Amino acid sequence: MTAPVGLGGPGVACSALRVRRLDAGELSGEELLRTEAHVAGCERCQAVRRQIEAEREALHRHLPFPAFAAGIAGRLAGSAQAPGGWRRRWVPLALAAGLAAVVVTPIVRPSLLGRGDVLPGVRTKGAASVQVQVATPAGPRTLAAGEPVPSGAAMRIVLAPGDRREAAVALVDRDGPALLYAGPAPAGPVPGAFEWTGEGDGELVVVLDDRPVDGAALLQRLRDQGLGGAVPGRGAELVVVPLTRSAR
Amino acid sequence: MGSPPSRAGTAAEPEGAGRVEELYRRHAAGVLARCRYLLRDDEAARDATQDVFARVLRSPGELASAGSPTSYLLRAATHQCLNVLRASRAAWRDEIQRMARDRRERGIEPESRELLRALLAAAPDEAKELAVLYFVDEMTQAEIAAETGRSLPTVRKRLREFLAAARAALAEAMPDLVLPDPEALP
Repeated sequence: MTAPVGLGGPGVACSALRVRRLDAGELSGEELLRTEAHVAGCERCQAVRRQIEAEREALHRHLPFPAFAAGIAGRLAGSAQAPGGWRRRWVPLALAAGLAAVVVTPIVRPSLLGRGDVLPGVRTKGAASVQVQVATPAGPRTLAAGEPVPSGAAMRIVLAPGDRREAAVALVDRDGPALLYAGPAPAGPVPGAFEWTGEGDGELVVVLDDRPVDGAALLQRLRDQGLGGAVPGRGAELVVVPLTRSAR
Repeated sequence: MGSPPSRAGTAAEPEGAGRVEELYRRHAAGVLARCRYLLRDDEAARDATQDVFARVLRSPGELASAGSPTSYLLRAATHQCLNVLRASRAAWRDEIQRMARDRRERGIEPESRELLRALLAAAPDEAKELAVLYFVDEMTQAEIAAETGRSLPTVRKRLREFLAAARAALAEAMPDLVLPDPEALP
């Protein structure tokens, strides 16, 4: 008779969760002593430990702390400012498969505050640029300058940060600013597709700097000072992309 | 998600400033790994991970009352991912067909965690979560019952449902693959 295929599951004394709890310092007393003694002599549990170590390395590679903290701040800020309860006007999309490919040729040039604002510290000669992409059945498509965002479209921001190492991206519309990203400046898509909900036009505000850009502080400055407050200090670079919506 | 019963020996979670950093340091790696495993999409996994922790920070009492923060957060991550995957139910058939093709044409036996992930999507919703607790987290049925507040017979029943759904999912593509006998699960 053919042996059953292994799907995993607990062993006589082995449990991946117990090893995780041991590593997290959640065990005590007899359970701690028993688990430590078992893990020390168990190859299967040692393999779990190696897996946990590999997961830590993957975390720093795939989701470094600044990006993690910015994502949390954005989600919490979104819930805190929503009038009448939980109603974000931008919605992170978990699986936007149509946006998996990357278009790297920048076609949207930096649009530096075309409203006559004067911003001390804003560099206009940087090579940075920003694209807005939307998912289509045929794959990602980059919006042309001034082209309206299709209603309900999954959107993604693609950066060409020049020589800047850090970035923050905020969406500003009639409901106020919302943080989309803060962390290392990717040369390519910013982590996280999203849908722009709500109403009215807006701007995409991208701050590029050599130092980490504090996302929460950016939101506060945008609330207090508008677009004029977007730049954290001299040397930072600002790109503002006007966004309009297509008729529903 | 109900709060599991309190247990002794739980490491204290920090309060106030530094909480986000502490949560990241202690738990984010495991949560991200769970999300990457279930979603198979790095970007979706990052989003799901941040959603899980944002929810925890919005309702800190839930984590504080959890007997094991590690267990609570992995369950929350599993919930989050299964909700995301609910919208893409058809994908598991393609995945099983691919494994069957690799097995037939190249002699590659399905890797157990990959096979499990594909089979999860074929199972009823409640059975999915319990299958993750049993096969991925390697909790015993008694531990699952205590963690989820379900009775031991209910846990057994859900695992039987999972294996029945898995068997049906494999019937056409890999009929000779024998899954564990649900009555023999420890």
